Amino acid sequence: MIIFHFRFSEQGNPALFFISCFFISLSCWLYHRCACYQPEGLTLFCNSVEQKIYVELNNMVPCVRLLNATHQIGCQSSISGDVGVIHVLESEANLEWVLSTGPNPPYMVILESALFTRSIMMKLKNGTGRVAGAAVVVSKTNPAEGFSPHTKCPNENTGVYSESYDPTMAHCNVTVWNPLGNGLSYEEFDFPIFSLNDDNDTEAIRQCYLGYNLGVNGSTPEYPLCAMQLFSHMHAVTDTATCMRRNDINFSINPEMVCDPLGDYNVWGSTKPLNNTAKGHKEGESMVIAATRLDSRSFFWDVAPGAESAVSGFVTLLAAAHALHNVTQEAHPPRTILYTFFQGEAFDYIGSSRMVYEMDHKQFAIDLDNVHSVVEIGQVGLRSSSELWVHSDPVSRRNNSINVSSLIDTLKSAAMNLNVTMSVPSFSQPLPPSSFQRFLRARPIPGVVIADHQSAFSNRYYESIYDKAANLNLTYPANLTEDEQLEFVTETANALADLATVVARALYKQAGGADAQLINIKAEPKIVTQMLYGFLVRSNNTWFQALVPPEFKNFLKPTPPDYYVGVSQTPSHARTPTRLVQYLLANLTGTTINITKENCHSQKENEQDTESKHLYSYVWVQGVASPNSTERQGFCVRSSVRLSKAVSPAFDLLQEYSSKDYSTWTESRWKFIKARIFLVASHDLEMLTLGVGVGILLSSLLLTYIISSKADILFSSGREPANATY
Amino acid sequence: MNLERLPNEEKLSLCRKYYLGGFAFLPFLWLVNVVWFFREAFVKPAYTEQLQIKTYVKRSALGLLLWVAVLTTWITIFQHFRAEWGEVADYLSFTIPLGIP
Repeated sequence: MIIFHFRFSEQGNPALFFISCFFISLSCWLYHRCACYQPEGLTLFCNSVEQKIYVELNNMVPCVRLLNATHQIGCQSSISGDVGVIHVLESEANLEWVLSTGPNPPYMVILESALFTRSIMMKLKNGTGRVAGAAVVVSKTNPAEGFSPHTKCPNENTGVYSESYDPTMAHCNVTVWNPLGNGLSYEEFDFPIFSLNDDNDTEAIRQCYLGYNLGVNGSTPEYPLCAMQLFSHMHAVTDTATCMRRNDINFSINPEMVCDPLGDYNVWGSTKPLNNTAKGHKEGESMVIAATRLDSRSFFWDVAPGAESAVSGFVTLLAAAHALHNVTQEAHPPRTILYTFFQGEAFDYIGSSRMVYEMDHKQFAIDLDNVHSVVEIGQVGLRSSSELWVHSDPVSRRNNSINVSSLIDTLKSAAMNLNVTMSVPSFSQPLPPSSFQRFLRARPIPGVVIADHQSAFSNRYYESIYDKAANLNLTYPANLTEDEQLEFVTETANALADLATVVARALYKQAGGADAQLINIKAEPKIVTQMLYGFLVRSNNTWFQALVPPEFKNFLKPTPPDYYVGVSQTPSHARTPTRLVQYLLANLTGTTINITKENCHSQKENEQDTESKHLYSYVWVQGVASPNSTERQGFCVRSSVRLSKAVSPAFDLLQEYSSKDYSTWTESRWKFIKARIFLVASHDLEMLTLGVGVGILLSSLLLTYIISSKADILFSSGREPANATY
Repeated sequence: MNLERLPNEEKLSLCRKYYLGGFAFLPFLWLVNVVWFFREAFVKPAYTEQLQIKTYVKRSALGLLLWVAVLTTWITIFQHFRAEWGEVADYLSFTIPLGIP
């Protein structure tokens, strides 16, 4: 009808046809647009065609593309999303349907998590053109046989064990640390893979599949068929050097970032305040570094529960720091203890390599000459008996000037009379993957790594979606309220508290503290259990709420935080776990001081104070509400806890995007991630519909042309003769 | 402008301007010249200036063809080897496609 709005006396004007074409397409577009976006108040007009066609799946998590100096890994869809007929895979043998016999390729394969194995995924990867994508149904229970999509030898090329350090120990020659690792996280797939975490989504897909995609009595299923469309188009490609270069090209019409370096912030604090403004060597300081890591990863983006691989370690260190607080206040040992929590260690030691680089280049509060020794806490949540293992580096042990054995003896004696035994694994065994390796890469420093495994990891779900609370046997009796769960001291918490006591005492002794004080150092199981609850079950609990600043409270969720390192941001946008650990460490090792909120925010103790900010950092925390009031009583916490950048030096400092020494991991950007299911008609029907549509369009154009050219005859009445205008 | 209403001398000067202008790396001027003056040069009954117009149109067409050949060859080579050339190709590109090498 739009066509008939034109004045037909404009005879023979070919522009008319272009304009009518344009209007037809415009009206189509408008209609589609309304259907897609449904602006408020227009819902009646646009009867949402989109909603009638598609069922959106909202809780699906994609696997995304990551890049390093040489490779791209992960998954991606085409720019308009990949569509395939849904096939729920029953067994590995059932793959035949997808890869050869099924009549309606390409297929979108739905896998139970038991079938998410390397052999099946590699067959799908090589199933040329017949696989549109895959979705993994995440089961609630962990697979009994173990599952780790990580490599067998984590961070193989960026630890200390290179060919030049000791050829016999390079590439996990002595011990394969993660024997269950199938390396899926480091494969590249050219189709999208999503995980299904929501039962409603899974059920919708299953119903759709059962209703449409199973032929009657085993016959070939008939159209319409249930299909799924997955969007996860990635912008970056090839490797980090390529994508970083493309980030910097900005003379194009639409300069667009395609990838970002992985990175976040390390958290560090010390038992004695250090002047953080003056960088480089601190005269007369000798530091014992107590290290652990903050991050984990999995096959899927932003799902990294990391219970054993990260949380067990940093909770222990936080508890040890808390246990040491009072004693170090009253009788500070001759050496200072520096607590460090490294971010991004899963991706070739981003955090530790950065801190070591900064120490080496006078950009950190201390330098490597100040480092006396390193005690690192690795994976410690899964000890079967009371036994824990003290790993050390065979190469530096051979060097007599590096006093590792006294450190081991200190740890052994600290464990005496406690429910923990510290044992030493075979003498020729190298260190497990650990941040301490980055210190050793810089120079020989005495140090140990404490872990619950003698050789291969006890963690059977290393860097996977299953490394969650259940992996640490963190269970609560039924019928407990949230607050009761928070306070309930689990077995795991008791075990970690014992270890924290040992670590704290060993650190105190290592720092030269007096033996008489050791008895006063004791980690509290209650603090440990609260931390485990907050970090693994529910970060939005009353204890965490009281310890964080008011502006952070919205980051607390009824779920545990996610430990994927993410892409680097400004300090105020640091990842939730980083900031939680920062605030907890500040509260557990700091002191409450009575100053105003404004002074607290501007890092000074009174109006004239300009010196304190060099030594301390100040955090205004929410506090708790008094019993008969709803308003929280906030207060200022003074501590030596700070954040330091955890971005690989390969990016902002060296700009060596193909570095072999430093992490080069980047994450691709994308426009949107979406998943939906709908019914598809057969190809013939689609073509018929299109053909009829084009036919109608052409005939309407023809009709318009005829009417328009005969307009003076058809519309002559009531008008002046057309030739009167000439 | 309607060529029909123009005197022949002006047609010639116009055609000449377009022909000369094309040498300033503006092959589109030659394209316009060819399309615009094709009738004048080859279809219209003969007149004095037609011979010169014919020459200009022919030369414009030749220049245009040369440009098309050169550009087609270059674009084919560039698109084919863009991914392989890496850095050089990125700096030569005006828009870089997303998600492909």
